[in-house]
Amino acid sequence: MSLGPGGAVLDEPGAQQVTETRPARKRRSGSRTTLGQGSALGLGIALTWFSLLVLIPLTALVVTAAGGGWAAYLETLSNDQTFAAIRLTVTQAAVVTAVNVVVGTIIAWILVRDSFWGKRALDVVIDVPFALPTIVAGLVLLSLYGPQSPIGVNWANSETAVLLALAFVTLPFVVRTVQPVLEELDHDVEEAAASLGASRATILRRIVLPSLAPAIAAGAALSFARAISEYGSLVLLSGNLPFRTEVVSVRVLSFIEGGNTAAAASLASVMLAIALLVIVALDLVQRRVASRG
Amino acid sequence: MVELSTPVKWLLRAVALGYVFMLVAWPVALIVQQTFADGLTTLSDTLADPYVANALRLTAVIAFWAVVINVVFGVTISILLVRFEFPGKRLLSALIDVPLSVSPVVVGLALLLVYNGRTGWFGPTLESLGYQVIFNGPGMIMATCFVALPLVIREVVPVLTEIGDDQEQAARSLGANARQTFLRITLPSIKWAVVYGLVLSLARSLGEFGAVKIVSGNFTGLTQTATLVVEQKYQNFEQEAAYATSFILAAASVLCIVVVSLLRPKESHS
Amino acid sequence: MSIEVRGVTKTFGDFVALDNVSVSLPRGQLTALLGPSGGGKSTLLRIIAGLDTADSGSIEIEGVDATRLPAQKRNVGFVFQHYAVFKHLTVARNVAFGLEIRKRSKREVAERVDELLSLVHLSQFAHRLPAQLSGGQRQRMALARALAVEPSVLLLDEPFGALDAKVRKELRDWLRRLHDEVHVTTVFVTHDQEEAMEVADEIVVINDGRIEQVGTPDQLYDEPANDFVMGFLGEVTTLGTVKIRPHDIAVSPTPGLAGAIRGTVDRMLRVGFEVRLNVHTDQGQDVTVRVTRAQARSLGLVEGSEVWLTPAPVGLHAVLVSSMAGATPVPPTP
Repeated sequence: MSLGPGGAVLDEPGAQQVTETRPARKRRSGSRTTLGQGSALGLGIALTWFSLLVLIPLTALVVTAAGGGWAAYLETLSNDQTFAAIRLTVTQAAVVTAVNVVVGTIIAWILVRDSFWGKRALDVVIDVPFALPTIVAGLVLLSLYGPQSPIGVNWANSETAVLLALAFVTLPFVVRTVQPVLEELDHDVEEAAASLGASRATILRRIVLPSLAPAIAAGAALSFARAISEYGSLVLLSGNLPFRTEVVSVRVLSFIEGGNTAAAASLASVMLAIALLVIVALDLVQRRVASRG
Repeated sequence: MVELSTPVKWLLRAVALGYVFMLVAWPVALIVQQTFADGLTTLSDTLADPYVANALRLTAVIAFWAVVINVVFGVTISILLVRFEFPGKRLLSALIDVPLSVSPVVVGLALLLVYNGRTGWFGPTLESLGYQVIFNGPGMIMATCFVALPLVIREVVPVLTEIGDDQEQAARSLGANARQTFLRITLPSIKWAVVYGLVLSLARSLGEFGAVKIVSGNFTGLTQTATLVVEQKYQNFEQEAAYATSFILAAASVLCIVVVSLLRPKESHS
Repeated sequence: MSIEVRGVTKTFGDFVALDNVSVSLPRGQLTALLGPSGGGKSTLLRIIAGLDTADSGSIEIEGVDATRLPAQKRNVGFVFQHYAVFKHLTVARNVAFGLEIRKRSKREVAERVDELLSLVHLSQFAHRLPAQLSGGQRQRMALARALAVEPSVLLLDEPFGALDAKVRKELRDWLRRLHDEVHVTTVFVTHDQEEAMEVADEIVVINDGRIEQVGTPDQLYDEPANDFVMGFLGEVTTLGTVKIRPHDIAVSPTPGLAGAIRGTVDRMLRVGFEVRLNVHTDQGQDVTVRVTRAQARSLGLVEGSEVWLTPAPVGLHAVLVSSMAGATPVPPTP
C-alpha cells in the first residue's frame, strides 16, 4: 500500500454539499462542455434546424422591420387604424388577464381542494381551449353568442366578442400554472398557522396566496402574451371592423395581404418584443422561485 | 389545510363551473348539436365535398410530418438540455419557449420573409434548386412545426430531470454504450412523456390556422387545410359544412386531450 | 495490486474534491473509503468507475491503464446509494442487463440470473418490478446486477446509506459474508466509522480531498495517524494535555498513581451496560470517562464523588505510526 502526499485543500462548507447529497448531478462550471462526439453532432443538427425554423426567420422579421429606419417604424405604428388596433388588443388582453387571474385561481382551487361530482370532467374541459383549433373556437363561440344564439344575445362583430374569444383561448393558462403549485403546497404550514391562531381569511391571505403568487404571475404573463397574439378565434367572431374590433394580428395579416411587408414586419416586431419580454419575465420568476427552494 | 365555509365553497363552485360552462362546455356542445341536427347527413355530405376531403387529407399529412419532426427534435433537445453542459445552454432553453408566445401571424410572416421564392433570404436560391417552400407543403410543415415546437420538450424535460441519470450511469457501468443506454434505459423511462408531448403536438398541429394561412397562400383544393376550409365555408355562408368540418377537427383534438388525461394518472402510480 | 490510483486531482468549479490522491488497493480485499460528507470519497470511487473523469492523474485496474477508458469498458460493478434500479424492468431483467449487453446466450443469461438471485435471496421476486421491493431488497438486486457481469472490481457508493438502521446492520453482515464467498476486490464508500470497522479488511480515511491514513480497523483505532483520524474513528476527550478515548481513562477513588488528576463527578449517565461520567477536574477541565457498570458500582461512584483520573496504558496519542506490510507512513497533519 502506498499513499501520496497530501497537498493544499480548499475547504468551503457550501461546496461540500455538492459531492454528497445526491451522487447523480454535480454542479459544473458554466462555460465547460460535457458533450461527447455523438451528442455534439446531435446538438449541431438540432441547432441548425432550430435556426432555420425559428432564429433566422425571426431575425429576418426584425431586420425587415428595422430596414425602413425609425421614421418608417413610427409612421406605421402611429397610423390611426393601427394605433386603434394596438389599443384595443392591449386593453382587451389586460382585461382578460385580470379575469383569468381571479377565475383561473378559483378554478385551480376548486380542482385541488374541493371534491364534487364532475370534477374530473371539469379538469378535462379546462384543456379543451388548448386543443381546439382556434378557428373552431371562434365558430364554437358564435354558436352561443352569435346571430343564432339560443340565449338571445348577438355579440358577433362587437368588442365583447373579442373579449369572449380571448377569454376562451387563455382559460387554461392560470389554472394550469396554479394547480400544480397548489397541489404541492405544504398543508403543515397552514395547520401551523391555524394552531398559532390565524383565521381562515388570514391563512388564505398571508400563507396560501403568497405561495401561489409566482404561479399566478406566470399564468397571467402567458395568458397576456397569448391574448396579444391571438388571431384564429377572432377571424369569424369579431368581424375585423377597423377602429372597432380589429386586433393587431389581423392588422398584420391585412398588411401582408396588401403586400406591405415592411409595415407588417414593423407591427409584428412589436408583438415579438412583447412575447420575448414575457419569456424573460417568466424565466426570472421561475429562477426566483427555484432559488427560494 | 384551510376549510372554507359552506356558502363560500358553493359560491366558488358556482363561479368556476358557471364560467367554464358558459365559455367552453355549452358552446362546444352546440357545435355537436348543429352537426347532428339532421342526423348524419350533414357530416356525410361535407365529407363528400372533394375540397373538404382534400383539405382533411392535407391536414393529416402535414400534422404527421410536423409531429414526427417535433418528436425527434424535442427528444434530442431535451436530452441535451438536461444531461449535458455546453455554452449557451440557458439561452437555448429560454429560446425554445419563444414559439409558445409568438403570434401565429408573426410566425407566418417570419417564414415568408426567409423562404418566399421571390424576395426571401433563402427562397430564390432554394427555388432555383427546385425546392418551393412557401405556398407549398414544406412551408406549411415548417409553420406547423414552429407553433408546436416546445410541446414535446416541455413534457420530456421535467421527467428527465426527475428520474436523474442514476439509471443511465448504472447501465454504462454494466457495459452499455450510448445507443444501448438510450434505447434500453432512457427511452423506456420517458416513454409516457414523449407520448403526451406527441399527442399535444398532434392536437396543436391539426388545428394550426394563422401561420398556415399565410405560408400556404390558401389555394382552394391545393394548399387549403381543414382549418382554412372552415373559414372559407363559413364566409361563403355554407355554415353547415363549416360546422361539420369544425366538428371533425374538434373531435380529433378533444380525443387527443382525453387520451392524455386518461394516460396521465396511470403514470404517477408506477 | 488490483486498483492503482496515482496523483488524482478533481475540482468542481473552485471546489477541490480530490487533491493529488494516490492509493493502491490489493486484490481480493474488502476496502472501505471512510470520511466525512464532502471529503471526496464518493468522487474517488466514481473516478475509479469512470463515471467521472479526473482532471489529472491516472487509474489502473488489474494492470490495465483505465484513465481514458469509458465506464462501459472498465468491467467494474457499481452499486449506487439510491439503487439506480431500472424501474421498467423486472428484477430478473435488471440482473440480466449487463449479460444481455454482452450478448450472452439466452440459456447462459437465465442460468446466471438464477444463480445470482439465489445468492442474494431474491429468487421468489424474479418477476416483480423493483417498485414492489423494499429498499434492502432493491439494494441486494442492484448488487446481483453488478456481480452478474463478473466485474474485476466491485464498487459500492454508500450502499446502505438510504436504508434504516436495522436493515443496514443486516446488509452489512451479509455483505461481509458475501465477500468471503465471492472474493471479488471490493471497495465501498461510507461515512459511518462503525460500518467501516465492522466490514472492511482495510480502511482508507479520506478528508478534505486528501488521504489521512490507510490501515486495518485495529490500526486506525489504536494508532491513529493524527487528531482527525482519532476523532473520526471514535470518541475523544482531553485529560490534562493528552487526547485520549474516554474508556482508556483509569478511575480511582484514591490518589494512587503519580500524575493522577483530581476531579469531581458532575454527571452520571447510564447507557446500557456502560456508565458515562462527566468529571470536572481541579484544573477546570471537563473530561468524559466511560466505565462499565460493574466498575462504577465497585468504586461506589455517585454524582459528587471525588475521583483521580490517569490515562490507561493503551490508546495514548503518542508515537503512532507503525509500518504494516507495504504501508507507507503518512505525515501527520499539522
